[in-house]
Amino acid sequence: MSAGAAPPRTIRFDDVWKSFGDKAVLCGMSLEIRPGEVMCIIGTSGVGKSVAIKLLIGLLRADRGEIRWGDLRLDSMSEPEMIPVRKRIGMVFQNATLFDSLSLAENVALPLRVHKGMRMREALAEARTRLDQVGMAEFAGRRPAELSDGMRKRAAIARTLTLDPEVVLFDEPTTGLDPVSARRIDRLIAKLSDDVGVTSIVVSHDLTTIFTIADRIAFLYQGRVHVCGTPAELRSSVDPVVQQFITGQSSGEMETPGF
Amino acid sequence: MTGARRAALRSPIETLGATAMQVAREAGGITLLAGRVLRCLVPPSMDGRELTRNMYRMGNRSVPIVALTAFFVGGIMVIQAGMYVRQFNATGLVGWGAGYAIFREIGPVLIALMFSGRVGSNNTAELGTMTVTEGTMTVTEQLDGLRALAIDPIRYLIVPRVVAMMVMLFILTVVGDLVSIAGGMLFSRLLIGIDPSTFYYSLVDNLDWIDFVHGLVKSAVFGLSIALTSCYFGVSVRGGAVGVGRAVNAAVVAAAVSIMLLDFFLTFLLP
Amino acid sequence: MSEDRPATGPRQRIERLGAAALDGLAATGQLAGMLGATWRGVVRGRRPPGEVANQMFVVGNKSLLFVAVTLGFIGMVMVYQSCLQLERITGDLSRIGPEFLKLLVQDFGPTITALMLATRVGAGIAAEIGSMVVTEQVDALRMSGVTPIDYLIAPRFIACVVMGAVLTVFGVAIAYLAGGLTAWSSFDLNPRLFFDPSRVGFLDLCLGLTKTLCYGMAIPVISGACGLRARGGSEGVGAATTAAVIGSSLAVIALDLVISGVGLLLVGHGR
Repeated sequence: MSAGAAPPRTIRFDDVWKSFGDKAVLCGMSLEIRPGEVMCIIGTSGVGKSVAIKLLIGLLRADRGEIRWGDLRLDSMSEPEMIPVRKRIGMVFQNATLFDSLSLAENVALPLRVHKGMRMREALAEARTRLDQVGMAEFAGRRPAELSDGMRKRAAIARTLTLDPEVVLFDEPTTGLDPVSARRIDRLIAKLSDDVGVTSIVVSHDLTTIFTIADRIAFLYQGRVHVCGTPAELRSSVDPVVQQFITGQSSGEMETPGF
Repeated sequence: MTGARRAALRSPIETLGATAMQVAREAGGITLLAGRVLRCLVPPSMDGRELTRNMYRMGNRSVPIVALTAFFVGGIMVIQAGMYVRQFNATGLVGWGAGYAIFREIGPVLIALMFSGRVGSNNTAELGTMTVTEGTMTVTEQLDGLRALAIDPIRYLIVPRVVAMMVMLFILTVVGDLVSIAGGMLFSRLLIGIDPSTFYYSLVDNLDWIDFVHGLVKSAVFGLSIALTSCYFGVSVRGGAVGVGRAVNAAVVAAAVSIMLLDFFLTFLLP
Repeated sequence: MSEDRPATGPRQRIERLGAAALDGLAATGQLAGMLGATWRGVVRGRRPPGEVANQMFVVGNKSLLFVAVTLGFIGMVMVYQSCLQLERITGDLSRIGPEFLKLLVQDFGPTITALMLATRVGAGIAAEIGSMVVTEQVDALRMSGVTPIDYLIAPRFIACVVMGAVLTVFGVAIAYLAGGLTAWSSFDLNPRLFFDPSRVGFLDLCLGLTKTLCYGMAIPVISGACGLRARGGSEGVGAATTAAVIGSSLAVIALDLVISGVGLLLVGHGR
């Protein structure tokens, strides 16, 4: 566990802009995420939700604006400077991104070997413990290709947690999963926040997940945070766009890119 | 496809210029990659397990193809020599002629080309599939996954592959050279009726260790070139399945050109 | 998963070798069938208007510089190495030029050009067709009543045979010129002695032509077959491209061996 835990830090997006070519994905996004909370970012597909969290750990670079974590300016850090940050902010990708050539245990052991200097045997033992915490201990020796999406996601979460991060980013954790697996993942995320105090930012368009686990919800629309508040506040919002999204109507005020 | 037609209407000078700029850009990118790889080699620090895993895989995949090619090439060399043997009755020269050509030129170059086609393109496709971030059924983002874990993809993924490819090509060239000679011995017995011992002594009496080493030095350089080009094109993939196909194509072509170019320079530079 | 049988052990290895050989035979049979189907497609099939011309442009234009560079360097290297050796033995370089041209026309010109085309064009064909397969465009074609072989492979077949021949002639010329330049600049060999076509006979031209045509047919058929068999997103395209490069290259070398062998036997019996 983290020795001498650092004081909890707020994450801030300040007027962040990001375009790909002539397609503007984020147009002045501003958002504050409080330490220890579960913040869900929702919005229609292709609206930049995943982009926002990738900006946080420097997998993409913002065109304009500031991204802060406590006093640290994340948006202007170079790649080597980001390395310690990435050990404190973990990310679980949409496709789990486990390494195909390694077993689950070897996958989870990798950060342990590289960052904590553990030898293979130690690391594998620790990995099995971690996998047990997400209920995947019996599959420790299997390859990712042999498992279902839900199982891979859980293993990926175990891997991300090996470095005991303060913040965990989840990119569409339940999208494409069957309801049982999805609810399992929801419980894992909630447990992280309740038991360990991890700050979670969850990008999703799965309404069940969002309304189950979110402390606050940020609704991203046209590149900006259109509305931000607790689940209750959003449910009772009179904004037509929010209402359309929550009730899942296919026509209405909301402009959806593409269709 | 009309894009290709439109491109044809550009003047040849423009096309040449565009090609030159693209080649320069790629060469620059490959050099940068080489620099980063080198920094991880001095002092040597890479993931040992990845290194052995890659070496095993690459060797496993390419031994059959290299052995087959080398065997056929031995036969071709002997057939070409055969026409002169009949003319000049120069049976004593076949072993030497075939050995000289194989050790110094044909062996390293052809085995490198085959290696590039088998292992190089496979490597590019693998790295490309890991890099792809949009557009197809399997989006894996494994490269980003590594970065998100604060692990340097170069040190963990690329350097072991580069080292593995260099070492494997070296070993394969040695093996391939020997298989070629064996093939040459067999075919010269079957097609021209030359005794294997004549072949053998002709080779051993006239060739020197330096001829063998000349070829091996070439293969080490080729290995480095193939490794760097295949990794570079693999991680620069843009655009899904189509992008991966194009990257493999570009990688194999670039490797072939660089092999020919390096062969040219090394032939003159080495003794 | 059920417990694995031990994968090592001589019996399993022989089993795998046998299976591989059977696979190889099956594959060759399938390819022969594909060749037949392609011929029928060429003669009677429907294809998009202008596609043949388009493909010829793609093959020819894109490969021109590539063939020029590679064949040029190869020519220089071969002449250099040969002169070096010949000087050691006889000191008489007067016959290098004519013999080199004979070798170029009858073997190395077509074969090296074809190997380069296998990487350049073969990979391109497999990548293109492979991407179309995994993005289900080929299924869409089939459902509108068009056979992929007629529509996709036949035009590329014609293009490869024709442009392959053109590029081979071009390659031979470049290699010969480059070789002559090297002989002149490094060994002071009189160009008039070098550029002498007297040793090229009818059989040489026939062999060269046969090889060129066979290679030109093999490359698109094999690459197209690999492309059509692509499965599974980017990985599938990468695998198809790799298979195409290796398959085409191996086919070229195997055909070289066979045709050269036939040539040797004819020479033996002719004289």
